[in-house]
Amino acid sequence: MQPAAALVVPHVWRVPDLAMEDCVLASGHDALDRQLPGGGWPVGSLVELIQARPEAHVWQLVLPALAQATRERDGPVVLVGAPHPPFGPALAAQGLASDRLLWIRTAKDAARLWAAEQALRCADVAGLVAWLPQARPQELRRLHLAARQHRKLLFVVRGLPVLRQASPAPLRLVVEGVEEMQVRIVKRKGPPLEQPLVLPALPARLQALLDSRRRGVVLPPAPAPAPLITEQQRRSHVLDRLVTET
Amino acid sequence: MYWIALSPKPETTNDRTAWTWWALRFTPRVAWVEEEALLLEVSGSLRLFGGRKDLLKLLLSAQDELGAVQWAAGATSPVALALLRCKCRSIPVPQRVDDFALELLSAALPHVPLLERTGIRSWGQLRALPRGGLSRRFGAGLLAALDAAYGERPESFAWETLPEAFDLNVELASLATAAPELMLAAEHLLRRLQLWLQARNLGVLALELEWTLDLRRLNGVRLPPREQLQVRTAQPTQEMAHLRRLVREHLDRATLSAPANHLRLRSLDTVPWGGATASLLPQDRAEGERLHELVERLSVRLGEDCVVVPRSHEDHRPEAKQDWAPARSHEAMPAAEADALYPTWLLPRPVKLSMKGETPCFGGPLRRLARMYRVETSWWDEQGPALRDYFIARSPQAGLVWIYRERPRNLAADLAASTQFDWYLQGLYA
Repeated sequence: MQPAAALVVPHVWRVPDLAMEDCVLASGHDALDRQLPGGGWPVGSLVELIQARPEAHVWQLVLPALAQATRERDGPVVLVGAPHPPFGPALAAQGLASDRLLWIRTAKDAARLWAAEQALRCADVAGLVAWLPQARPQELRRLHLAARQHRKLLFVVRGLPVLRQASPAPLRLVVEGVEEMQVRIVKRKGPPLEQPLVLPALPARLQALLDSRRRGVVLPPAPAPAPLITEQQRRSHVLDRLVTET
Repeated sequence: MYWIALSPKPETTNDRTAWTWWALRFTPRVAWVEEEALLLEVSGSLRLFGGRKDLLKLLLSAQDELGAVQWAAGATSPVALALLRCKCRSIPVPQRVDDFALELLSAALPHVPLLERTGIRSWGQLRALPRGGLSRRFGAGLLAALDAAYGERPESFAWETLPEAFDLNVELASLATAAPELMLAAEHLLRRLQLWLQARNLGVLALELEWTLDLRRLNGVRLPPREQLQVRTAQPTQEMAHLRRLVREHLDRATLSAPANHLRLRSLDTVPWGGATASLLPQDRAEGERLHELVERLSVRLGEDCVVVPRSHEDHRPEAKQDWAPARSHEAMPAAEADALYPTWLLPRPVKLSMKGETPCFGGPLRRLARMYRVETSWWDEQGPALRDYFIARSPQAGLVWIYRERPRNLAADLAASTQFDWYLQGLYA
């Protein structure tokens, strides 16, 4: 049987063609960008990231978009209820300046929701990442509407148990894997993505270091892993001469 | 000259001061005459406010908040007052000043019966009398008032002035037993504060709420007569919306040690008001509150330590490279030494790892992948020097982790005694 996607019927519009977001930010992973409606993380829409461990893979997924958002506009990236303190030097090396972070640490769910909504309504906030394991669908809808009204980048990180709940988020991703990220898009405008996308779980520079250690040989000069690292920054205390010399 | 006479129906003294302060926004020439009418001389500020019609519209727009008023305008203050009295008493207004009845002139009031018996009923007839005789018979005051009404003599009043600092005390309608019940009175006071700020052309940075306690002692404990609450904001403002929300957050958290009967609002810190900055660029006109307002409200509700920004320090110990300071009182600082090989999450304090033989375990035995660097610093510290070897390791469950082993100070001797290192987990890669 012919797959439905291959059918070309004139005057029939398919959902993926219509689901264009008017404002997107690249996720930094080309394979993921190709699957996201509009070709990147939507601005002004709730993006739900579902994974077992709250701290895993978050930065690898959202940091390039947040870095781009902070370059384009003033104001901080607000982290509501991050599970651990984010480490500024590591984030700065990947493009998100650490003086653009505002961390709201509170354990209470109601306070997190309130703070997240207030931050979305603030004109000066560039983006928001919130860890809301217990939020109910109607509360998420409020956040989604606030993000849409104020055109804000909004990521909500939640645990695996919510996968069975309904969600107002137009985009839901399940992130699995330890060695590498396996991303399944369980909800998007268009058909869900059954086959998981396999994405690198580590920054390119760190991956290069580990690869070189594993093989025990000097790698051929690879393209500059992270273009944001300047020569001055490269002379760090880190003893990975194998990488820094390339 | 252009005089406006207003006659508010003042229920309390505060409403009267409110109208005075509101009027002082438009002109410094504001005076109360005979406790019934507020006079404004506005000829000097007509142009600034866009003419008589616009100025009157703006002046009377405060009626919703401060109570309804009757108003009249004239070339001199007695004329304006006479027109106002006509309006208040619903008398038909004469066409010419000469036809005004004598009762409308305050200075002529004591002499009205006598003058009427001589057939004098209007200002014009009174003015036609010989001046010398009029002055001898009725005193110089009547003549002076008549001259002023016709604009032939300058008028002077005891002009109202604004207090140097805002300080207003109101009695509560009922005893407040909880701090949120003070909000109604606080809103009332904040509206007054706004009037005062607008008239003085100031922006407020800090204010103090003070409530008077109704009891001297409670359960045998002596209470202070008053309790205070200070509210501060980062940027001077005349807009009360942000201050109102800030005061509400503060009051929601405050406790009264006894029921309160009075609420007082004082301005602690004010600066000259530069006006709200406006921009034509679309990206500057994003709707919503400003960042400092957000930070202040979050800090009040959640606590200052819960809204934090990173500050970086020059140090080789990762935990000392950055610390988190309250965003309300500190500026964020860019990281000193950015490197992608650092973990993105740094644990608040290192976690000592359990050992399985010689292998540290965290979610299963850790496999060391790369030796990163050796730290040997902070010999000046009271807790002793930090002597550490850092590694990147792989945990079967948690992915890449950042661990270090603590080297004994005297390596050779201590290793001979016990061959075990202490291992700690300090960061997570994600």
